Amino acid sequence: MKKGWGTTLLVTCVVFVFLVPLLGAFYTSLRTDEAIASGPFVWEFDSNFEHYKNALGAAGYDFPSFFRNSVVISLGTVLLTILVSFPASYAIVRLGFGGPWLLRLALALRITPAIFFVIPFYKLFTAYQLIDRPLALILANTFINMTLALLVFSGAIKEMPIEIEEAAAVDGASIWMTLRRIVFPLLGPGMAAVGVLTFLFSWSDYLFAVVLTSSEATPVTVGAANFVTSYGVRWGDISAAVCLSVLPPLLFATAAQKFLVKGLSSGAVKG
Amino acid sequence: MSTTFNRERKVAGWILSAPLLILLAGLLVWPIYLGFQTSITHDVLSEFETYPVGFENYRSLLSEPNFWSSIRFTLIFALTATIIELILGFALALLFDRYFPGKRILFSLMLVPIMIAPSLMAVMFRLILNENIGVIPGLLNKIGLSYSIFDQNNVFTSLIILDVIEFTAFTFLLSYSALQNMPQEIYEAAAIDGASKSQTLWRVTLPILKPALAIVFLLRILDSIRTFDSIYILTGGGPGTTTQTVGIYIYKTAFIYGDFGLAASAAIVLVLLLAPFMPSIIKQFNLGTGDSK
Repeated sequence: MKKGWGTTLLVTCVVFVFLVPLLGAFYTSLRTDEAIASGPFVWEFDSNFEHYKNALGAAGYDFPSFFRNSVVISLGTVLLTILVSFPASYAIVRLGFGGPWLLRLALALRITPAIFFVIPFYKLFTAYQLIDRPLALILANTFINMTLALLVFSGAIKEMPIEIEEAAAVDGASIWMTLRRIVFPLLGPGMAAVGVLTFLFSWSDYLFAVVLTSSEATPVTVGAANFVTSYGVRWGDISAAVCLSVLPPLLFATAAQKFLVKGLSSGAVKG
Repeated sequence: MSTTFNRERKVAGWILSAPLLILLAGLLVWPIYLGFQTSITHDVLSEFETYPVGFENYRSLLSEPNFWSSIRFTLIFALTATIIELILGFALALLFDRYFPGKRILFSLMLVPIMIAPSLMAVMFRLILNENIGVIPGLLNKIGLSYSIFDQNNVFTSLIILDVIEFTAFTFLLSYSALQNMPQEIYEAAAIDGASKSQTLWRVTLPILKPALAIVFLLRILDSIRTFDSIYILTGGGPGTTTQTVGIYIYKTAFIYGDFGLAASAAIVLVLLLAPFMPSIIKQFNLGTGDSK
């Protein structure tokens, strides 16, 4: 056997096991209802993609609106997270704002279980009539993702050579101009890392979604889970809905894999 | 000149941090106050009136067997899952640390579970484990075994497998990054000294990577302590309350049984239980910074 093929075989088997749930759902989504009902190994596929059509609205499910909500919530969270964390990271790292305690607070928050905030957030958003609005989930997810964003951004800013900024200051550039013309463009990769991670995590949120929404702002995670209980026997449609729900983060994160890897490892290991 | 410059920096610092400070005030300080206030209030959904009760909720919580059993289950679950994921992830990272055909595409495929929401993974898992239509019970039937998720003997194993499938990618990725940062000269030196492969692994690689792996362990165990979605969707905490994590206990107490006061006090006790570990964890992370530089 040529060098390394044994490893290839072994890793392929492991990867296959990890992908069994996804492959199983995809397999079910393509089968006819009769085939699904008559057992897992009846090979009869639906050439009309009926389950996908049903999930996308033909059967009157709310799935398209869940999907829209997920998109709005995730993109909104990405924008707000960057808007909040990027300038603050610069202030912390380069302007010495808040000393080391702001980053320590961020770490402490990363350790605190999200469930701690569920009841207060529920009370808070009820008081401000934000329950079942996408804004409530955008705020909650921004709060959760902000700590990772602060860590990734401050790591990236620390790695930038300070000489460029100093030279700009000598040339009379204000902090604002330096930030806009020099720091912002140089921080592209960090921005991409924060973007893809925040998108992924807010798309994946279930806990806040199940507490803070009831119908109007429900995203796909809660929608899909409810699907199982409310349309118990329609496994084909459920599978199609789940496969569609998995697709956007999968495509996005695969396209930005380099940044995903960088963000996860830097946000995890560097303080 | 220098004083105006310093003042400009100070003002800029405040302006740049303003959005963060506003967010922290609104979503951290205020909610912590609200949470504490709820925990000392008799606040039950079915009763219209709420009134302060002092530490009554805490007292009933501490004598509530379901709370303590949920803490025990959470710890056992988190520890089991984390240890398996760390060993498996590191072993896979070692495999990926050398060349083999198809490495790039297999690396991408390894990361796929990270991109799937745990709740959606749990729905898929329910599908493939379904007694009538699932692939796994189907296969087991063929070799003469019967399987049900809700069988007391299977449920813990099923939950661990689900967690391992979902999160090994994470421990793998972080272990792999750590391995990539190892200086090649060390391996060369070990080889010159005549160290075997397993000697190099146990005496060289592992001791050097210990701080990095400690952080992966901490991150993973802290994340599994807050496991909610996947277990809630798969078993709802059952059968009975046998797979109830603290997260599920708090959620159910508040939003199913409607006792917000008791749930809020449970959330606070949970954080207090974790608090003694926080300073050392924060230090551990900073240590990681020092090592990676």
